[in-house]
Amino acid sequence: MTTANYKDIKVRKHYDVVFPIVNTIILVLLMFVTLYPVVNTVAYSLNDGTDALKAGITLWPRVWSTKSYQSILSDPAVYQAAWISASKTVIITLLNLFWTSMLSYALTRREYVLRKVITTMLVLTMYINAGLIPNYLLITKVLHLQKSYWVYIIPTMFSCFNMIVIRTYIAGLPEALVESARIDGAGDIRIFWQIIFPLCKPVLATVALFVAVGSWNSWFDTHLYNGSKTQLHSLQYLLKMKLATTQQSANAAQASVDALANTAASKTTPVTIRCAITVISTLPILVVYPFLQRYFVTGMVLGSVKG
Amino acid sequence: MTNSVQGQNRHYSPKKKSTFSKLLSQWQLMLMSVPIFLYVLLFNYFPMWGWVNAFKDYGNRKLVAKGITPWIGLNNFKWLFSRPDFFQAIRNTLAMSVINLVFGTVSAVLLAVLLNEVRQKTFKKTVQTVTYLPHFLSMVIVVAMAQNIFASNGPVNDLLVALHIVKEPVFWLGEGKHFWWLVGIINVWKEVGWGTIIYISAMTSIDPALYEAASIDGAGRFQRILHVTLPGIKSTFVILLIMNIGHLMEAGFEIQYLLGNGLTAAYSRTIDIFVLEYGTQMMDFGVATAAGIFKSVVAIILLVGANFIAKRLGEETLV
Amino acid sequence: MRKLLSVLLMLCLLGSLLVPFAVAEDQEPITLTYFYGAPGDQPYPDNKIYKKIEEEFGITFEMEFLAGDLDEKLGMMCQDPDDLPDLFDGGNSADKILISSGVLINLLDYVNPEDTPNIWAHIEPQKNRIITKDEDTGEDVMYIIPNYGLGEGDQIVNSVNGPAFFIQKQVLAWAGYPQIKTLDEYFDLIEAFIAENPTNEDGTPYIGFDILTEDWRRFCMINPVQHLMGRPNDGEVLVDINSEDYATTTFINQPYAKPYYKKLNEEFQKGIISPDTFVMTYDQYIAQLSTGIVLGMFDQTWDFGDATNALLTDKKYANTYVALGLIYDEDDVPAEDMPEGWTIEEHYVNGSLPNLDRGAGISVSCKCPERIIAMWERMLDPDWALLLNWGVEGEDYSIEDGRLIMTTEQNANTQDIEWQRHNKAQAIWNSSPKRQGYIMEDIQVGDQVVTAGNCWEPGSQPEIVFGLMNDYDKEFLSAYGYSKFGDFVNPPIELAPYGEAWQIDKSPIEKDYNDFLNIQDTQLPQVIMAPEGEFDAKWDAFVEAINPSCEVYSNFMHEEILKLVAAYYGE
Repeated sequence: MTTANYKDIKVRKHYDVVFPIVNTIILVLLMFVTLYPVVNTVAYSLNDGTDALKAGITLWPRVWSTKSYQSILSDPAVYQAAWISASKTVIITLLNLFWTSMLSYALTRREYVLRKVITTMLVLTMYINAGLIPNYLLITKVLHLQKSYWVYIIPTMFSCFNMIVIRTYIAGLPEALVESARIDGAGDIRIFWQIIFPLCKPVLATVALFVAVGSWNSWFDTHLYNGSKTQLHSLQYLLKMKLATTQQSANAAQASVDALANTAASKTTPVTIRCAITVISTLPILVVYPFLQRYFVTGMVLGSVKG
Repeated sequence: MTNSVQGQNRHYSPKKKSTFSKLLSQWQLMLMSVPIFLYVLLFNYFPMWGWVNAFKDYGNRKLVAKGITPWIGLNNFKWLFSRPDFFQAIRNTLAMSVINLVFGTVSAVLLAVLLNEVRQKTFKKTVQTVTYLPHFLSMVIVVAMAQNIFASNGPVNDLLVALHIVKEPVFWLGEGKHFWWLVGIINVWKEVGWGTIIYISAMTSIDPALYEAASIDGAGRFQRILHVTLPGIKSTFVILLIMNIGHLMEAGFEIQYLLGNGLTAAYSRTIDIFVLEYGTQMMDFGVATAAGIFKSVVAIILLVGANFIAKRLGEETLV
Repeated sequence: MRKLLSVLLMLCLLGSLLVPFAVAEDQEPITLTYFYGAPGDQPYPDNKIYKKIEEEFGITFEMEFLAGDLDEKLGMMCQDPDDLPDLFDGGNSADKILISSGVLINLLDYVNPEDTPNIWAHIEPQKNRIITKDEDTGEDVMYIIPNYGLGEGDQIVNSVNGPAFFIQKQVLAWAGYPQIKTLDEYFDLIEAFIAENPTNEDGTPYIGFDILTEDWRRFCMINPVQHLMGRPNDGEVLVDINSEDYATTTFINQPYAKPYYKKLNEEFQKGIISPDTFVMTYDQYIAQLSTGIVLGMFDQTWDFGDATNALLTDKKYANTYVALGLIYDEDDVPAEDMPEGWTIEEHYVNGSLPNLDRGAGISVSCKCPERIIAMWERMLDPDWALLLNWGVEGEDYSIEDGRLIMTTEQNANTQDIEWQRHNKAQAIWNSSPKRQGYIMEDIQVGDQVVTAGNCWEPGSQPEIVFGLMNDYDKEFLSAYGYSKFGDFVNPPIELAPYGEAWQIDKSPIEKDYNDFLNIQDTQLPQVIMAPEGEFDAKWDAFVEAINPSCEVYSNFMHEEILKLVAAYYGE
C-alpha cells in the first residue's frame, strides 16, 4: 500500500463516520422490506377466513379470528406428525454433519489417492438426475423402504452441496494445523476429530441449518412412500393436506350448491389456512435459529491456534 | 491458500511408493470417505439405468400399460429439438438463471459485507434474522403479494405515477419484457437473507488479526472490506459461482408458473415447465428423460468450463 | 336415546329383511387400504358412520388422501402393481391412468341382476354408457361405477350448477327485472348500469366483466361460444347432434366464434373489461367477486362458491349472482358463417349425466372384492342411502309429516369439514355408487315414514333450498314470477347419445391438445385486447396458428364420439 497523504486520511475518516450511519439506514430499510411479507402473512393468518377472501389486508387483521389455527391445532394428528418431523430432522441433521464433515476433511487431503475420483463422482450427482421413476423403484422394489420411518432417513443422509461448503471451509483453515499434528504422530481420524472438527463449528452450524430446514420442510417423501401410514405422516405433509382440503371444499360442493347458497358460514379458507400453516411450520425454525446463529455471527479467534 | 500447498510433497516416507501401497497407508482417509462413496453409487448412480428410457417410446399409454415400450433411438431428442418452443424455453431458462445468479450473488455478498461492518451484535443478529425470514414463506404467498404490489393500481405504479416517472401505470404483469426482471427481484426479496448465511459463516474464518493489521496500516473501512473481507470469502464465492454456473439450466418452474399468464407465456415458460407439460404430466417418460439428459450434459459442460477457467485464473476449483 | 336405539334396531331389521343374501357370510373383520384421489382429512376414530360400516360389514379402512399431483402419484403407484391399495378412487384421472394401466378388476365379474340387484338397478338406465367393450377381447367391462349422476325420477334443476353467464342481481333489479337473453342485451345492460353507477357505495369502481384465464380455468375464456350457439357443455368442441354423422369440430377457430371475441374486444375498448383480468389469479378473481364489485362473468357456479359465501356472510345479497343462458342474436352471426342447417336455441342445462370417469374401482391386488361389492350393494338400500346422505335421524335431520328436514344449523354442519370428520363417511360416500334424485317409494324409518317425493340428497330438498332462502332472493324471484333460479334458463335438453364430449379422454393426442391450449392461452387475450383496427388481423393470425392442432383434435373427437354413439345404441 502506498503511503496515504493527509488529504486521503481526512476523506477516509469522514467516510468512517458516515459509513455506519448510512449502513444502519440501509439495513433498517431492508428490514422493513423483508419484514412486510412476514407481518402480512401473520395478519392474514389471524383474520377471519371468509373476510380474508376479499384481500386488501396489510399489516393488521381486519376481522380477528384464530379459527385457522384452531382448525389445524385441534387435530391430534398434527402432534404426532410434529413428533415425526422433529425426530427425523434431528437424526438426519446429526447423521449428515457426521458423515459430511468427515468426508469433507478426507477430500481436502491433497495426498489422498482417491481424492480426485471421489470428488468428481460426488460433484456430478448435483447435475445428473435419474428421474422420478428409477428412484421410486429403488426405494420401493430394491430397498423396500416404503411404509417405514427409514424412508425419511436413509435416502437423505448425504448432500454434495453441503460437502462442498464444509470442504471449502476446511481448505481455508491454516495447513500448519494438520502438519504439526502429523509430526506429533497423529493419524487422519485423530487429526479430524481433535483439531479440524472443533474448528468447523461456524460452517457446521450453517450446514446444520440447511439440512434441518430441508428435512423439516420436506413432504414429498411422505406423499410418495408413506401416505397410507397415518402414524408416519410428517408435519409438512399433513399441513399441505389441510390446505389442499380447504381448497377443494371451496369448490367441491358439487351436490349441494343450492344448499350452500343459503348457508352463509364464516369458515376457514385457503387464504388464511395457507398463512397459518406458514406460521406454524416456521415458528420452530425461528426458535432453534438463535442457537445456531451464534456460531456463525460471532467470529472466532484463529490467531491463537495458528501458532 | 490451498494453492500454496499444492506442489508440496507430503509423503510419509521419502521412498517412492506404488499407488496401491500408498492407498493402503491411507486407510484412515478411505474409512472416512469410501462408505459415502458407495452410498452415492447406490442412491445416485444405480438409478441411472433409467436413462435408457430416453431412447424408448412412451407415447402410447395403452402400449405402455402392457409393458410395450419400443426402442426408437434418438426420436425423443429429435422431437424436442423440432419444437421452437423448446428453444424458447432454453432461452427463458438461461435468461432467468443468469439474472438470478447475478442479482442473487451480488445482493447476498453486499448484505453480508454490510452486516459484517455492524459492530452492535444485537442489531446485527436482528437484521440477519429478519432478512432471512421471507425464505420460509411459500412461493405462493410471496408471488401473490408481488402481484398485488405490481398490479396496475398497486403501490409501485402509484409511486411511479406520483413521482411523474411514468404517465400511465405500467402493465408489469402482462408484458413479457418485464417478466424476467420481476422474477429476479422477487427472488432477491425472498432469498437475500438466506443467501447471506453462507458468506457470513465464511467470514468467521477470517483472522481478526488481519483487520487489526490493516487498521494499523491506516486502512479505512472500504479498504478493509476490499483487502480483508472480500479476499476472505473469495474461495466460497468462487466455489458457489462454479456450482451455480453448472445450475444455469435450472431456473425452476414454481415462480414462473405462479407469476406467469397467457400474456407473458413467451417469456415465462422454462425448460422445466415444458418438460412438465409435454413429458411428466403426459406420463411420457421418454421425452422427460431425454430432456433431463440434455440438461445434464449442458450442465456438465458448463461446470467443466467454469472449473477450467477458475483453474487457469489460479482460483479455487470445485474438482 | 331409546328412540335412537329403536331406530337403529329397525334399520338393522329392515336391512336384514331386504337383502338376506347380499351380506357375505364371511364377516371376519378386515382392514382395506383405500386411496382417495383428492385431498381430504382422515376421519376421526369416533366417526359414527364409519363405526356403523365396521359393525355391519366388518370393514375398516386405512385411507390415503392426495397431497400432491394426482397423475404423478397414480403413475408411481402403478409402477408397483404388487403393492396397490384394495380400493381406488382415481379422482379425475381414473380413466386416463388406472384403467389404461390395467390395475382395476372388471366389476362385471361380480355385478349382475341376480347377485347384486341394487347395483344393477342403479346402473341399468345408463348401462350402455357405463358398460363398455374391451378393445382387445371385445368382452363387456365396467371398471368403475359412476359416483354421481344416476338420479331417480325427474331431473332436479333448482338452479344452474354448470356454465352460464352470470350477472349481479342488483343489475337486473336496477333495470326493473328485464329478460336478458342475448349477448348484446347482456352487455348493453352492464354498460348502462356502469354509466349510471360507476362505483359502489364505498367509492370502489365497478368492474363490468371478468374473464378468468388461470390454468385450467381458461374455460371461462374459451367455452362460451358453444353455449351462445345453443349447445350445453361439450368442452371445446361443437357437435351437430342433428347431423347424421355427429359432425364435430372445435369451435374456437370457426367464423361463428369471431362475433363473441369481437364483442369482448369492443367491451375492452369501452373499459368494461380491464386488461388486469388476463393477469388475474384465481385467488384475485375470488377476491374481486367477494367484494361485490364484479357485475358479470362467464363461469360455472361451483367455481366461485367461496365468493358467494363471502357475499352472503356480509349480507350483500344484491351482489350475488344469477345464471343467465345467453345465445347469439339472429344477426350476430352472418348466415354464411353458420354450420349448415343450424338453428340457435338456448340449452345451457343438459340431461342428467353419469359421472363416467369418476368413481371407486377395486384393484387387482384386493383379496376380497366380493365384500366391497356386497357393501356397495347394501349401501344402495333405502336405510343405508338415507344414513349416508342425510345422517342419523334425530341428530342430523328429522322427519316431519313424512318430509325430511334440517335446521339451519344442521344444514351448515354438512359444509363443515371438522363436522364431517366426526359424522359423515365423506370419502367412502363420495366415491361409492349413491342414490340421488327423488325418493320414489315410501321408506319406513322407525315408527315414521319418509314419503315418496322427498329428495335423496339434502342439497336438493325443497325445504332446504327454498325454506332457508333469504328474503332478498325470495322477492327477487317473485319479481320475475319464478319459483326457482333454474327458471332463468330453459329446461334440460335430452342428453346426447355420446354424453358430454368433455369427458372423453384426450391422452392419445395430448401433445396436440396441449398445443391447442397453449395457443389459446397466449393469443386469445391479445385478440381481445387488440387496439382499434387490429382486431381482424389478430383474429386471423390466431385462427391460422391454432388450425393445425384444431384439425387433429376435431378429427380425434369425432371418431371418439362416433364410437360412443355406436356403443350407446348397442352396435
